[in-house]
Amino acid sequence: MNSFLLFGLVAFSVPLASQGEIAAGAPMRDAATHEELAARAASAKDPTATMTQVVLAADPSVVNKPGDLLSRSDILCFGEYATLVPKLAILHRPKNLESRIGFQTGAKIQVFSEFLAANRGWISTVEVSRAQAEGNAPLPVDTEKSISKSPYIIVATYQGGPISMLPKKSPPAPAEAPTRKP
Amino acid sequence: MKTTITICAALALGSAGLTAQTTSTFTNFIRQVQLPSGVQWDVSVAATGQQQSALAINPGGARFELWTVNSSPLTNYLLDSKYVGSYVPIGQVVIRSEDPYATIPRTRADRPFYVDLTVSGLLTDPTAPAAAKSVNFMHYKQSYGTGGTGVGLDRTAATLISTASIAANGTQTLTYSMTALTGTPQTKVRGEERFSLYSLDDYQAPADLLGSLFIQIWPVADGTLTGITSGQVVRFVAPTETITLNDLYPKSTTYCQIYKGAASLGTVGTVVPGSSLVLNETVPQSRVLTLTNWDKIFDADGLWTLELVTSTPFGVERLAYVTFTLDRTIQVNGNVTTISD
Repeated sequence: MNSFLLFGLVAFSVPLASQGEIAAGAPMRDAATHEELAARAASAKDPTATMTQVVLAADPSVVNKPGDLLSRSDILCFGEYATLVPKLAILHRPKNLESRIGFQTGAKIQVFSEFLAANRGWISTVEVSRAQAEGNAPLPVDTEKSISKSPYIIVATYQGGPISMLPKKSPPAPAEAPTRKP
Repeated sequence: MKTTITICAALALGSAGLTAQTTSTFTNFIRQVQLPSGVQWDVSVAATGQQQSALAINPGGARFELWTVNSSPLTNYLLDSKYVGSYVPIGQVVIRSEDPYATIPRTRADRPFYVDLTVSGLLTDPTAPAAAKSVNFMHYKQSYGTGGTGVGLDRTAATLISTASIAANGTQTLTYSMTALTGTPQTKVRGEERFSLYSLDDYQAPADLLGSLFIQIWPVADGTLTGITSGQVVRFVAPTETITLNDLYPKSTTYCQIYKGAASLGTVGTVVPGSSLVLNETVPQSRVLTLTNWDKIFDADGLWTLELVTSTPFGVERLAYVTFTLDRTIQVNGNVTTISD
């Protein structure tokens, strides 16, 4: 009786360590099954059970979610580029430049500083204080005059960043002097 | 009260897969919203780094929103927001899992994770307003659906699981033995769980986000071996083996190994050449591999086991196996007869 192998011996083998990430020393196990996980899920304890539970009238993540950035912004656009500024940040809109307010399809959004640097020919800025932005202090009269006469679009900025300018708050009416009847 | 805070722009949060971007179509903005006045101020930011906010915060506080804007189509994504203020408590959420992936905390449907909640700035003065004395902790869950990856997810549709009050400064760790997502099969749930700290409604500002983080939950992988069947006797050439792999963990190495003998969990065998698949992705992957002419690896006849194994940050796991008999020996029964005259 003769016997022989049809195939050769091991051509080559690849050691496990050469296969990349293999958790060293971790015992191998079978992958978890639905039955195991369902049983674990059923017996899992909520770690917040020991904390003081609260019932809220409304979920703040829904009712207080910040509004859409684009809907709270004006867009300045020219050529291939555009930028966002907060609404109320544009102080002056010359009629001949109105077409540059609004997004034009295909334009690429830039940060304000980059866009401004490339478009100083038709955009100018006015630095304002926090109090002025909040409407608690007026702009100097000369500044207001120059803004109204400017051929440029004027954007309010604070430290170089565009900022919304709230309407100027009117000072509280002086208390009426008591009238004395004759 | 004049306060400045540091704005961290490297916030890899928000929509799954979205981080602060500097690609050709995404531009990042931080918008500071003063409360209660509503003044809005934009700060240009790079994808990473930090800078001081130059706009002093009112006593009512300010909300910092990190947005990324896509030019085409024109869309915006809120990556993160934080409410800060002089009299507002500070809240921070950190999520830890066994996966060291740094961009977004992530884990698997069967694995535990830990949530560290750190609160500071709470006042103990009984006369202080309620918003200065406690914060609310919220736990949400949201499924991505079958095969979903979380892209374009409407997070306002998340389900609020629990709400608890925290009235003491310090750090506490919540241990979750597994995901709160449920489904059938439970191994295939995929989605995210969000943990948030909110301030309380106040006369100056509504309840706003102090800190929030979410963890992605990915399904347990499964796989099948098709070709050799259990108990089969393999003669001559081993049949083509098809390896079907489903929901492989984004960071994993999957391979087939063989060893002599019956199936024995934990046996280290020899990796079948051509069967390895190394993944370093952001979402689970499904693949089909085919092994042909792979029987050179056998060095002897007998009982063998072929195992499909995956290695992940959670350990090494067997997905499937088949035990068969290899018999490549040809027995020649004959005799030699000599005939002589």
